[in-house]
Amino acid sequence: MKLSAKLTLFLGGSKLLIALLFIFSLPFLVGKIASAYTNAQLRAQKAEVLKSIGKNGIVYYLQGETAYGSYTMLKEEYISLEETNRSTGQDTIKDSQRLVEQDTLNYRVLSFVFRHGGKNYLAEIGKTNKSIVAYNRPLQRFALYLFCGLILLSMLVDLAVIRRLLAPLGHIIRKRLGKAELPFQTGAPSETTGTSDFRFLEQAILKLQRQVNEAFLKEREFTANASHEFMTPISILQSKMENLLNDEALSESLQPRLAEMMQSLERLKKMCTSLLLISRIDNEQFSRTDSVAPALVLTEVLEDISHRIEQKEMTLVTAIDPARQITRMNKDLLFHLLYNLINNAVKFSHRHGTLHIYDELQRGKYLLHIADAGNGIPAEEQEQIFERFRKGSNNSQPGSGLGLALVKSIANSMDIGISVRSETGKGATFSLSFPV
Amino acid sequence: MKVLIVEDEKGLATEIASFLTKANYVCEHANSVALAKDQIEASTFDYILIDIGLPDGNGLDLLPYARKHNPEAAYIVLTARGNPEDRVNGLDQGADDYLAKPFFLPELQSRMLAIARRKFKIAETLLPLGSFSVELQKREVWQDANRVELSKKEFDLLSYLFLHKNRVLTRLQLSEHIWGTFADDDYDSNYIDAHIKNIRKKLGQYGDTSWLETVRGVGYRIRLS
Repeated sequence: MKLSAKLTLFLGGSKLLIALLFIFSLPFLVGKIASAYTNAQLRAQKAEVLKSIGKNGIVYYLQGETAYGSYTMLKEEYISLEETNRSTGQDTIKDSQRLVEQDTLNYRVLSFVFRHGGKNYLAEIGKTNKSIVAYNRPLQRFALYLFCGLILLSMLVDLAVIRRLLAPLGHIIRKRLGKAELPFQTGAPSETTGTSDFRFLEQAILKLQRQVNEAFLKEREFTANASHEFMTPISILQSKMENLLNDEALSESLQPRLAEMMQSLERLKKMCTSLLLISRIDNEQFSRTDSVAPALVLTEVLEDISHRIEQKEMTLVTAIDPARQITRMNKDLLFHLLYNLINNAVKFSHRHGTLHIYDELQRGKYLLHIADAGNGIPAEEQEQIFERFRKGSNNSQPGSGLGLALVKSIANSMDIGISVRSETGKGATFSLSFPV
Repeated sequence: MKVLIVEDEKGLATEIASFLTKANYVCEHANSVALAKDQIEASTFDYILIDIGLPDGNGLDLLPYARKHNPEAAYIVLTARGNPEDRVNGLDQGADDYLAKPFFLPELQSRMLAIARRKFKIAETLLPLGSFSVELQKREVWQDANRVELSKKEFDLLSYLFLHKNRVLTRLQLSEHIWGTFADDDYDSNYIDAHIKNIRKKLGQYGDTSWLETVRGVGYRIRLS
């Protein structure tokens, strides 16, 4: 997942969590506040009551009765006074039910005992719970709306900032790592960021890519030069051996050994030739101006290889569209590519095996399949077979170990996709995919 | 026949000269463009073999100059292997053929002979091969009035051995002559053996083929006195 997506998800999630926490705790909080406010109000009223009694005297309220009670019209509040033998002490506030004119109502009641004119009186000031929660709902709703609005605003701000902050990272990834193919494009660093981490990251990537490029180009140059330079001594050696082979002074018994030496030299020559060709291809020294019919190239290849197919008494089954043309190709290289693949297929097939070569159109690609009847390539080796000097464990055939590396180089340079499908014991199918 | 070898690798030039001298050519050697120019001005050659990479310039640049002074000569360009432009440029500049290094010496000689037949229009003659006679251009083998039917590859093999008679040719040299650089010694040599067997069988119906010798562990040779 991309960093910006992750950050967005995280921010969204954390804000949602906070919102949920707030929504669930809101009634409780508001209730607490309302209750504390009511208590404070009750205490203020107590002070008021005591002040009035101090001013008017208790008789003014009791009027000779033992108790006094009064409530507002809607019974939201009430007050009661009566003589008590309880001693003065702590005030208590608790929720309890009171019967007022046949109605049983829930009140928050402040009870306190006070002394007046040598007697103890119990006073109660009550407030209905209904009036306490009356403010709760609008308060809650208002808080909720405000909160949601703020969360949304902060989300938008966060997203905008993340986008802006991470934009240079996306730019660096696209520009530096988008085309991960050697050699890397190492243009000047972009000037789009003030974030030092990103600047550092880009510079580090650039530095590494330049180093890799340098090593890559050096290797290429070395391969090209070395194989080219090897050719001269090989030429001389080969010519000397050819002349020596027909020298009268050479005894007949030494001739076979000289022939063996020539064979070894031939292998060396083949390796150098292949390496040289690979490096020429990698250095893009071949033009891509030919329009080629694969069927025609195949015919040429098969002509060159037919004697090997005959010798192994193999059956050849081909089904290729003769009209198909591929543009932007190099005919020689396509020949090399098909030659190597088909030659391998023959080489690794069993005697009397069948070699299938067929094509198909699939999702805008022209596919060419070459299926052999050999031992197959174990799955764990399929990745490596295209590397230089890599030979599979099933491969006991002589060879330079460069054939498939050459195939890969050609495929890369001509934008031909190449893949292999194989199961041990069931042969291997190499598939080429050409852009149409 | 006079040959000028323009090649800066002394070791290679010596071996080419040694091989061609044995085949009755007269060889001279130049190791630079400048020296080659001197020699081309001084005398006339039938063949000029030009290496492309010379210390004082590209051998291809020598071609127009050489052709001016020596228009009758046959030119063979010796290229570095795997450089297709060299081939095209060489032929554009008027070379008669090209050979990629490293090449087999018998191959060089057979190319020289092929150019000679083409260029100097040598009258076709029946060349004797034991009790048979060979017509190289028509690609035919006769025994008196009987024509021996050979396949294309069989004739290629026979004529190549015939051109280099009294010389042992390895299976490698033979298969590279027939399949070029795509020859694969590891299993084409069997194929050479099979073809030689066929040639012997086909010719054997008409006459003795003991001149076609197997050299054990090496290859084949046509021995004619």
